[in-house]
Amino acid sequence: MGREGQGMDSESLIAAVIGLEAEAQARGASDRPAVRTPLGTLEPLLRQLRDRDALAFDMLLDHTAVDWPEEGRFEVMYRLFSLRHGHDLLVCADVPRDHPVVPTMCGIWPSAEFQEREVYDLFGIEYDQHPDLRRVFLEDDWQGHPLRKDYQDPDMLEDPRK
Amino acid sequence: MGLILDKAPAILEHIPGGSIVVTTLDWAINQSRANSLWPLAFGTKCCAIEVLMATGAAHQDLSRFGAEVARHTTRQADMMIVAGTIVKKMAPRVRLLYEQMAEPRYVIATGSCAISGGPFMYNSYHIVRGVDEVIPVDVYVPGCPPRPEAFFWGLLTLQRLIKQGETIRKPGIRTKPVLSALPAGMTAEQVREEIARELERENVVDVNQAAERLPWAAKVREWIQNHSSQP
Repeated sequence: MGREGQGMDSESLIAAVIGLEAEAQARGASDRPAVRTPLGTLEPLLRQLRDRDALAFDMLLDHTAVDWPEEGRFEVMYRLFSLRHGHDLLVCADVPRDHPVVPTMCGIWPSAEFQEREVYDLFGIEYDQHPDLRRVFLEDDWQGHPLRKDYQDPDMLEDPRK
Repeated sequence: MGLILDKAPAILEHIPGGSIVVTTLDWAINQSRANSLWPLAFGTKCCAIEVLMATGAAHQDLSRFGAEVARHTTRQADMMIVAGTIVKKMAPRVRLLYEQMAEPRYVIATGSCAISGGPFMYNSYHIVRGVDEVIPVDVYVPGCPPRPEAFFWGLLTLQRLIKQGETIRKPGIRTKPVLSALPAGMTAEQVREEIARELERENVVDVNQAAERLPWAAKVREWIQNHSSQP
């Protein structure tokens, strides 16, 4: 599959996403085209982003999350890339911190399986319909999810200089 | 007591008919151990690039010290170079690898992470603060990562420890672990000179002088005369 040109530029990508999903909006403070969408619309939107010929995001480069404890939310992030067109896009969605459940994207990109296991391992976000949701980096008997900002561990040391 | 032929080529060259030098078995064993430290090919982070790959390559050339034969099985390795961060998940595996190595086994901890946890010391969920929490360490080589000459300095320190180390009467007795920091301002050139001086001191022997110092020098002289006078 050869790459055809440079793909779409930032404005037209965001406009195309908003055309697909009216509730999505541009997300500022990012070095690449980025959109934010409500959690309920996430899976249909990502599926369309992969299937539309003009967009053709056939690769999930990275899936991760950010913890915002003051605002009571996690932000799940999907960094997409199109091998056909050569453009990339960041799709974000907010998940409530007290009930972090996200639909799985394994049906869209099979590589999501391990990336979602990693996010589950480190952030404790659960994936609905995930085929094999286990820890991937930490031991199976690990307590808690260490990339949460409020994670505490008896072995952890505080920096005495602070 | 066995007679160990020491510095054999030099002696055979200098004295017609050859000679023997009497030494202790401990000395010979320790020399052999110190000069054939086979490391385990085991690197956990960026120190492995510097300490195992850069030092092993042609420019630095770890094989000058007889320590280049990286073994991929613990059963054949003498020395474990802990090059990099040890995380909690890795700790039991490090211990297992150490237990699998045959005695005598030596450990060099290189870099801040293997010594103390380094930059991951505070507010970190995964770190083992120093590999000495898991296995005993003989030589610490500070640096982040240590330069190749700093690592060589640590290796020479370990060789010195081994040479003055355990004896047959007291097997398993080791010296205390040492911190082998390269003195400040020391350059690679000076390290090379130090290494050359060390090698020269150990390997270039004036045989006649050495023989004269022995308490049985007269007997040796007589023996040599008797044997070299034969056609």
